[in-house]
Amino acid sequence: MSNDRFLERLRIEAQSLRFEPSHFAVTRMSARIRERIATPTVSQLLANWMRPLALSFGAIALVSTLGVAWYESQETVAMESTIAQSNIDVEMAGYSFGD
Amino acid sequence: MSNSLAALYERPGNGPFGAFDRLLFVPAGEKPEQVTSDDPIETRAITGVKAGDAAAFDYLVSKYLKRVTSIAWGIVRSPQDAEDLAQEAFVKAYQSIGRFRSGEPFGPWIYRIVTNLGLDVVKHRKRFRHEELSEGEPAERRDSADLPAIAHELGSRIDAAIESLPEMQRIVARLYLVEQFDHGEIAAMMNLSEGTVRSHLSLARRKLQDRLSDLREANHE
Repeated sequence: MSNDRFLERLRIEAQSLRFEPSHFAVTRMSARIRERIATPTVSQLLANWMRPLALSFGAIALVSTLGVAWYESQETVAMESTIAQSNIDVEMAGYSFGD
Repeated sequence: MSNSLAALYERPGNGPFGAFDRLLFVPAGEKPEQVTSDDPIETRAITGVKAGDAAAFDYLVSKYLKRVTSIAWGIVRSPQDAEDLAQEAFVKAYQSIGRFRSGEPFGPWIYRIVTNLGLDVVKHRKRFRHEELSEGEPAERRDSADLPAIAHELGSRIDAAIESLPEMQRIVARLYLVEQFDHGEIAAMMNLSEGTVRSHLSLARRKLQDRLSDLREANHE
């Protein structure tokens, strides 16, 4: 018998040597795997806490920045219009200059 | 978890993550072919798991658990350790599913994970073999009661012959003969080159031919 044929014959015969876990063992293992992946790891636990916190802080920072920018722009406009609307009278040597 | 596995994971840098790092290694010049999954349910399940749906993982577990346990058993030869390894492999696969490339079959990936975990256990056992022997339990016979249902004497003889091989030859021979993987698959699972796998298998074959010489002669007639 050639080397390859010997190995192929062994391959056919050896198929029966596969380990077959019992139905009970398969159920037990599946349940344990399910249980373990359902339990979050420390990093997942931290991520679960940190993500919403980071999102909240981000949202607050964004709203604050936009709010301050808007307020400042409103203030500038108001000041400019006040200046524009004011009458400026300048008196000099008894004479009065203005609108 | 059995004592040997528990002891292994307690050792720093020797846990399943160590085995996991090796999964990233691809032998130079032997880039495995890109194989795509032909099971649409499997592809959907992987997409679901990646999206955080843990229930979608059930499909992958039910599809591969028996084979994964059999591979683990072939390496560690203890049903309890094999069960622990299979569970560990699936948990690790779940935790690093983000690294898994969508569209590829899940099988080779989980087989590689369990093989690497099994090899770690074997290495650990080798290191502490003297302790096992001092307990009066010969390592090579300890699993004799755990043998799966070997239907006939020939199977039993082949099993014994494979078990008598040196460690790496034994694992390669078992993956080739019993689990029916080809050279390329075994190379990918064990992070070896295909040439090394062929070499182990060739040495194993010579020893098996010696030990099963009557089987060889019977076929000549």
